[in-house]
Formats: sequence, structure tokens, C-alpha cells
Amino acid sequence: MNFIKRGFLGITRNKGKSLILLAVIFILGNLISGAISIQQATSNVESNIKERLGAAATVEIDYEELDALSEAELMETEIEDIDIDLIKQIGELSYVKYYDYNMSTSLGSESIESYQGEDMEDLVQFGPSMDFMMKGINYAPVLDFEEEKAKLVDGRVFNEEEVENGTSVAIISQKLAELNNLHVGDTFTLSNMVFTYDDETGEEEIVTSRDVVLEVIGLFESQTLKEDAGEDSEDGMFDFMDMDYQNTIYVPNEIVRSETEYYWEELLKSDEEFAEMMEAEGEDSSFEYYTPMFVLNNPEDSEAFEEEVAPLLPKLYTVVSATDQYDSIAGPVESMSKLAKYVLAAAVIATVLIIGLVVLLFLRDRKRELGIYLSLGERRGRVVGQILIEVMVVALIGITLSLFSGNFIAGQVSDTMMKADHNTSQDEMMYFSEIQTNLTTEDVLDSYEVSLNSSYILIFYGIGLLTILISTVIPLVYILRLNPKKILM
Amino acid sequence: MMILEAKDLNYYYQDGDKRRYILKDTSVSFEKGKFYTILGQSGSGKTTLLSLLSALDSPHGGTVLFNDEDIKKIGYEKYRRNNVGIIFQSYNLIPTFTAVENVLIPMSITENDIPEDVKTVAYNLLDYIGIVQSKADRPVNKLSGGEQQRVAIARALATNVELILADEPTGNLDEEMEQEIIDIFKKMAHEHDKCVVVVTHSNEIAVQSDQAYLLRKGVLSSYE
Repeated sequence: MNFIKRGFLGITRNKGKSLILLAVIFILGNLISGAISIQQATSNVESNIKERLGAAATVEIDYEELDALSEAELMETEIEDIDIDLIKQIGELSYVKYYDYNMSTSLGSESIESYQGEDMEDLVQFGPSMDFMMKGINYAPVLDFEEEKAKLVDGRVFNEEEVENGTSVAIISQKLAELNNLHVGDTFTLSNMVFTYDDETGEEEIVTSRDVVLEVIGLFESQTLKEDAGEDSEDGMFDFMDMDYQNTIYVPNEIVRSETEYYWEELLKSDEEFAEMMEAEGEDSSFEYYTPMFVLNNPEDSEAFEEEVAPLLPKLYTVVSATDQYDSIAGPVESMSKLAKYVLAAAVIATVLIIGLVVLLFLRDRKRELGIYLSLGERRGRVVGQILIEVMVVALIGITLSLFSGNFIAGQVSDTMMKADHNTSQDEMMYFSEIQTNLTTEDVLDSYEVSLNSSYILIFYGIGLLTILISTVIPLVYILRLNPKKILM
Repeated sequence: MMILEAKDLNYYYQDGDKRRYILKDTSVSFEKGKFYTILGQSGSGKTTLLSLLSALDSPHGGTVLFNDEDIKKIGYEKYRRNNVGIIFQSYNLIPTFTAVENVLIPMSITENDIPEDVKTVAYNLLDYIGIVQSKADRPVNKLSGGEQQRVAIARALATNVELILADEPTGNLDEEMEQEIIDIFKKMAHEHDKCVVVVTHSNEIAVQSDQAYLLRKGVLSSYE
């Protein structure tokens, strides 16, 4: 009858004590299991939502910091532009998969019609129409296509030569093409109109304009808006965003730069007062403004990327990444995660103390038995092993039972708590950012799911058994100090 | 043939600055095939002497030799595991285990050669001591005091040791049972060539032993 067999016999022959130990481990196991379930679920939500938010990041003005400035400080502050060299420097960082910088401008057209949405044919237009958003690119394969915001359905993307030389080629949406019967290889004309605003009459007057002739080399179809159409079709914002995107025309940056330059030059010529003001401020080249966009290798890199880029930026600029938005939409999940962390720590400490105490009481009760083993010459290590077997076998059963019940309870409790938290949470002030998401707190709550998966099971068994092992080992010091003579004689 | 020898054993309690000696330069030797008793009144130090001979405690001075080897060198735990069987006044059996299970425990602990079929050996041993199989399968707390002490004797013999040390083994038994237990010890010594040392305060037992010692105020002397 070796110490292993004695351990198993100890469990069956001391049924009452084994059941008490089982009950205590089961109750504490439920706490640990629940806390781990919630932590796992919240961490799954985080990676899932961050994955959906994507790995994009940009550099833009920190509006929160700007708001915090006093009026006097604001007057003294000069906001620098982000220059291309800095964008390229950031783009060369190891975290960046690929990057682009864009310059955009709005143009009108007399020869083609803009897309006005499925139900917006009767939209009344006031003043000159500037419906077409010409979006300049520097990254030839087009970042939006690479990131699956849109898909090229016909033709091709740009080549390096076209981007470098500013060749008059464009990629337009399929809907815009269908509306105007345009195909790959066709040309169309946009108007770069310069107009002034009459303060007295309130009317806009076209001063001059020039034609921009572009050749269609590719057609794209929106992906993100298409996916969500079913859910958001009643939302006016969706129609507006869709309309806006269908009228976007991708061209090389150089074309946008040249048209913007023309626009500003003509504007300054036509408005002397404005020209004088601009000259006084010395902002003759302020029309050239690029918005950078960096796609990182992994959403997890966002934090490290932000840390590395922040010192390179001019004053009042900040890095905004798609994953930043997680914090603003994941409030209830975050608070649940925090709570779970505290509960887990408390449960582990309580388990160590309570199980430790229970085992110590049981050992004191069995002091004579332990003394007998020692008097027979049994090695202390094996006596310790016997007790460990007794406790760990009961612990394994208790933990297995609480694996399921704790997981179930965690699902119920966290569901109720998150809904309550979501209902009481208040909306925060939002700023417009280049990186926008249509993911909401509802999406976060929907993706929250307490489930039994292999990593949860492994972590729970690991933490549970290790906690009980520690709480058993501490009172086992008692055995090492036992003197068989004092016990038995 | 000498199997166990105590040389100049000293054992004391520290009482402030003073040492209160329980054993003072005590020497004694024991041979195989003999039944010994150590007689003494309560507090005379006889249990302390037995605890030193059985390596349940260590002396403050002197040595205990087993087959001429210092038991400290053998290792107290190893010595108890392989060389000595100890019997206590209060039996010290594990109450949740059956009689046979109690006998099986030292058989799994010892490094001595034990026949492979340990369960049969344990049953035979119990039967030889007077515990039939139906009783051997009962939890020991369901047995009488005499039966429990027989199980304790069987446990002490289970590892096939040559030395049996017993501390007041009949202290909790009636006279009839006492004699039966003493007869077993005599049989062990005379028929199985064991060295049996019994600590007792009973004159009746002492007179039946091959050699009796009297322990008084920590000093051991022959008892006639």
C-alpha cells in the first residue's frame, strides 16, 4: 500500500471531510471560473473588435488639446503642417505595412451627373454643384482597395509612373459609371470652378473655371457600406455616406495638387482683400495639405506605433488609430473586465486562505495518522505526497464541476451587468476624425460571449489547481515539523 | 549474538540554567533470540530510552549501535524503515483502515525483501498472531483492545525485522490478554530468533523475560 494508494483510500475512507473540502473548492472554484470566463470573454471582444476596426492609423490635430488651450495661448500658437518627409519617415517604421498620403478637393461637372442615392433623385441643388470628391493618392495599388473598403471590379489600379507624373487617369465608382454610361477607357470632364461669395446678396458667383479631363482606368465597388446596407438602410447617414463615396474619384496626388494650386491662384486674383490677408500671414503655400494614412502590420502594434511616432510630431498633433475607438465604444466591457480582474484576485487570495485553513485543520485532526507513517520510517516527502494527492484529486473534481457552473453563472451575471452599465452610460463628445467606424457599443455587446473554449479550460485548470496547490503546500510545512515521538508516546 | 547496544546515553531537559537528566551515561546491550524487559516506574525514563533505541528521538550524548553500526549513520528514518518494529501502548493503528491494510503499510515502506504476494503474507501473519481473515478485513476501530494490539504486533513483524521494541504493550489490556501478548513476544524471541525489548512497569512481565533491567533515576541496572 504505497502513498498513492493511501492517498486515494484517504479520500474514500474520510468521506465527510472529502465532501466538505469538495464543497469549499466548488464554491471558490465558481468565483475563479466566473472571473476567468468574463476576462476571457472581454479579451475576445477586444481582439475581435480591434480586428474589425482594422490596423489603420493617421496623424492629425489633437482637438482635445486644442480645446484645452486658453484664448491667449490659441492666438500665439501656430499649427504647422505635416510635411511629406515626416510622413515618409513614419511610413518607413517597422510597424507600417504600407502607407499613403492624400490630398483631396471637390470639383463639379457639366458633362456628367453625380450619384444622388437610390431615393434621392429629387434632391434640389442650390448654387454651383461640387459633388465630386477628387481623392489624390500616392500609393499606386490604392490603400482603400488593399484594405477592402472598396473592390476593383473592372479595369486596373494606377501604376507608379502615372502616380509620379500625375497622369490624367481616374478610378471611379461603378454606380457613377453606370449612371453616366462610362466604361474603362472612356474619358470624362470635371470642372474646377472658382467662385466668390457675395456678402450682400448671399449668392455665389463663378469667377472662372477650367476643365479637368480624366480617363477611366478602373471601376470600384464599395465594400464596407455594401455589407452594412441591410442593417442601416433606414439610416439617413448611411445614404449620405454612400452617396459621398460613390462620387469619389481616385486620381494621382499631383492632379489634385495642380487643381488646388489653380483654384487658390485664381481665388487670390479675384479677391484682393483675401489675397492681402494671405500675404500678410505668409501662408502662400497653405493649399498643399496631405492627410497621411498608415496601415500597420497588426492592430496590436497600435500602441507601440503611437509611442514611437508621438515624439516625431509637431506640436498639437497626435496619432489616431482605429483601435483607439475601441475605448470609446467598449465602456461596459472594459468595466466588466476590470471587475473580473478584481474578483479573480480576491478569489485566488480567498482560496489560498480558506483552503489552507481547511487543510491545516484536517491535518491537525490526522496528526496521529501522520505520526504513525513517520514512526514506520516513511519519508516525509511521501507523506506530503499522500496529502497532496488527497487534496488535489478532490480539487480536480471540484474544479471540473465549477468549470461548467462558473462559466454559466458568469454568462448570466455579466449579461445583466453590462446591459445595466450600457443603459446608464452617457455619450461622450465626439470629434471628426479621418478614421471613423460604424461599430457601436451594441456591436461590442453583441460580440461579448462567455463560452467554454480550450484556452479558458486550460487557464482555469492552471490557475485553479495552482492556487489549491499553493494553499495545500503552506500547511504541509506542518508535517515537516512533526515529531513522531511527541505524537505517539 | 549482540544486535543492539546503547553506549553512554545521555538525555536531559533544560530547566533554566540546569539540566534535568532523564538518562545519565546509560549503557546496555541486547542479543537476538532473547526477550528483554526494562522495568521502571512512571517518569523513570524507560519510554525515553525506548524512543532513543527506536530512533524516534536522538540522544544528547552517547550512541546507539545496531549490528555495530551507529544508527545515526544508518539514518534514523531508514533504521526505523528497515531494522526495527515498534509497538506502542495505545496501538497507534490507522482507524480508517482495516487490520490487513494497517499491516500492509510498513510492507510498502520498507526496503527489506518482502514476498511479492504481500496481501497473503499479511493475512498469514495476522492469522499467526491470532487475527482470522474475517477480522482482518474489519476496520481496526471495530476490534477489541487485545485484537488491536495483535494487529500492531503483526505490523511490527511485517517488515521481517530482527528487533522488536515495545512500549508498555499490555498497559491497556486485561490480565488474560496481557499474558497472551507476552506469550507472542516469547515465541517471537525463542522460536523466530528475534530480539524483543519490552518497556513495562509490570513485575509479572519482567519475571517472564530472559533478562530484565531496572531503570531508576536515569540509571539502568540488572533486575533479579
